[in-house]
Amino acid sequence: MTAQEVRLCGLLLQEHFGEVVAKVGTHLLKSGAQNLRTIIHETGISLDLVKKSLCVLVQHGTCVFSSGRKAPGSPTEYRTSCDRILRILRYPRYIYTAKTLYGDTGELIIEELLQRGDMTMSSTVKTVADRLTQNMEEGRSMDYSEVSSAFSKLVETHFLQRCPPMAGAGTKDSGTPATPATPAIPGTPAAPVSTAPPTPESFPDCYRVPHVTLIGRGKRRLSNEDGEDQRNAKKTKMDSETHGDEGIYWQVNFERFHLHFRDQAIISAVANKLDQTSSEIVRTMLRMSEVTTSPTATCTKPLSANEIFRSLPSSYNIPRPILDQYLTLLVDDPMEFVGKAGESGGGMYVVNLHKALANLARATLESVVQERFGSRSARIFRLLLRKRHLEQKQVEDFAMIPAKEAKDMLYTLLSQNLVQLQEIPKTPDYAPSRTFYLYTVNQLPTARMLLQNCYKTVANLIERRLFESKESKRLLEKSQRIEAILASLQASGAEPEQLTEVEEMITAPEKQQLEALRLHINKLDSAENQVDETIFLLESYVNSTMSVY
Amino acid sequence: MTGRGRGRGRRMMTFSVEAVGINRGDSLPPSIQQPTPLFPVMEQKPLPLAGGEEAEYLLALKQEFRGAMKSLPCFIQPAAAHRDVERYSDKYHSTEPADGPTDWTTDWKRFPKELRVRVKKPTRDGVSAAVTRSDRVQSGQKKKKIKEKEEVLLKLETLEKKEERGSSGEEEEEGEEKKKKQEDEEAEGEEEYDEEEFEEETDYVMSYFDNGEEFGGDSDDNMDEAIY
Repeated sequence: MTAQEVRLCGLLLQEHFGEVVAKVGTHLLKSGAQNLRTIIHETGISLDLVKKSLCVLVQHGTCVFSSGRKAPGSPTEYRTSCDRILRILRYPRYIYTAKTLYGDTGELIIEELLQRGDMTMSSTVKTVADRLTQNMEEGRSMDYSEVSSAFSKLVETHFLQRCPPMAGAGTKDSGTPATPATPAIPGTPAAPVSTAPPTPESFPDCYRVPHVTLIGRGKRRLSNEDGEDQRNAKKTKMDSETHGDEGIYWQVNFERFHLHFRDQAIISAVANKLDQTSSEIVRTMLRMSEVTTSPTATCTKPLSANEIFRSLPSSYNIPRPILDQYLTLLVDDPMEFVGKAGESGGGMYVVNLHKALANLARATLESVVQERFGSRSARIFRLLLRKRHLEQKQVEDFAMIPAKEAKDMLYTLLSQNLVQLQEIPKTPDYAPSRTFYLYTVNQLPTARMLLQNCYKTVANLIERRLFESKESKRLLEKSQRIEAILASLQASGAEPEQLTEVEEMITAPEKQQLEALRLHINKLDSAENQVDETIFLLESYVNSTMSVY
Repeated sequence: MTGRGRGRGRRMMTFSVEAVGINRGDSLPPSIQQPTPLFPVMEQKPLPLAGGEEAEYLLALKQEFRGAMKSLPCFIQPAAAHRDVERYSDKYHSTEPADGPTDWTTDWKRFPKELRVRVKKPTRDGVSAAVTRSDRVQSGQKKKKIKEKEEVLLKLETLEKKEERGSSGEEEEEGEEKKKKQEDEEAEGEEEYDEEEFEEETDYVMSYFDNGEEFGGDSDDNMDEAIY
């Protein structure tokens, strides 16, 4: 929980849930597990608002609660963690992936679940069907069964999972017989506090779709219906219909999406380095080992060349010996994406996942140095990565850069902490004249440092965007009001003169200002998305090194 | 002894200078006397952002998501600060906390007991339902003033009615009942009061001539008291 992470989490919470939730969230992040009274006392926010914020945080899965540590009877404690909040940055990417894999239906399902935190299957299906119907032409509507089938497919491929039933929430038995009660803890009132909260995957029914009776079609919301009536209608609808899956809540499985992104990164790296066919081979290998590989595995299970040959997509009609050549090329490549694990079955091949991640992170570091300090500094950096420890003189020689400039570049890199000095004494008293000083680069600490820089970057981008919006708040409000007036005029059928008259209420320089503002905000938003891709790579790399232990 | 640096040899450093490469006679870069500038000049310009269809779609998704979150019930606005004097524009700026708690139906079993919000029956004019006592205390200043005013006016009205109808037992009880009801159902009292007061914008309270029967019947009983 570094300062940069906390700052970024605070900004993300503020943008998506409001200032009150942001205050409560940052307070919890900074002070660890706390109970309700302490939160109220230390943040100075009223009881009602704190309760509401905690409810919002718990519903979205960012906050977990457990009974107090001191004794079973002590008040419940709440705790948040940074990484769940940082996922908010990646929501557009999740939604887009769902769209590419499962079409518009999948996209809307994921979007609804991300907006609400968790929902039952029936309510998700209904909401998504309504939204899809809204966008279809008059007279057509979306059937619930189509949406349900998309939902089931998402669950089968593990993109969605059930929320773990709350053990210490005050209910001991589950709602419906479909959800199992917490296994192996039949009578204890509070879950054991010393263990970590149970992961969703520890429950056997995590990916089982409940049997739900959902028959109907999406409802189109009429444009002349009052918002109030719609809300009342929705309320009565939800009260009267039950579908047999009460109490079963679904949430988005972020880890599965991350595995998917990781696979995509590896495939595109292979495509960039080698060619399209090799990337197809690697894609086939990864697809075959999707279900057999655990998320933290170092490499996939060995696949024989025969199996790969059979599973290649039929559009790639390469003969068997060519496939063997491609595999040999992949194995010999210095990036080590693919490794050979044996000779049986025509050769057993694995995809080295952790090595691939480490190489991708290394490429990121190198490109960062190149873009900030120039290609010669990048050459020195790459040299140090490869050769581990080098003296000043050796650096100049190997990099083929004149001594003065090499010195300058090395000191710049040293001052930015991208390169470290390692002292090797000849004598036990570390006398400066009798010690070797070697330059070195440690990949993992450097990656962590760059990751923190990325968090700081995104936080700065968000702050700048908020600042720009605040500056032009008056102008934005005016343009919104004019758009609303235009829309209502058009809906009630006004003449073009009236429309132009309203449009002219915004003067030309104001229009220019608005355009420039829109451009800036779009740029800042895109930049956030792009930095998030780097964050993903570096985070995966750092996590892969941690999970070894 | 060797490290006397201050007056004589200023360039004493903790590590050996020769090994790292600073030879004698080489000029060091000037030492920095103040914090580095906030936006230093960059030698290399950064690369342009990646464009393309995917990036634009992601951008659109992101902005839509943000906008959608703002309209959901989980977006919690802090209670608006009350200004010293009621202003006319408050009527138009009123950002109601919407139907926050009532709209957000969730399975309260999944939350710890202390977080559950009791949802009271919604009052008639749609005032936010889960107004707990603390909220009433905090944000009820305005409402209190209005309530007091209304209570005073209602009291005057009932007194008028009492004198109009005389001091028969039923009417007194009616008046008392009404007073009791005021505290429970201010909203309804408000509406009734509004109707009566503003129906025809006369100076006379309409309930004065509420029922033809009462008017005729009461005048027989108490001729002693004057009728205003």
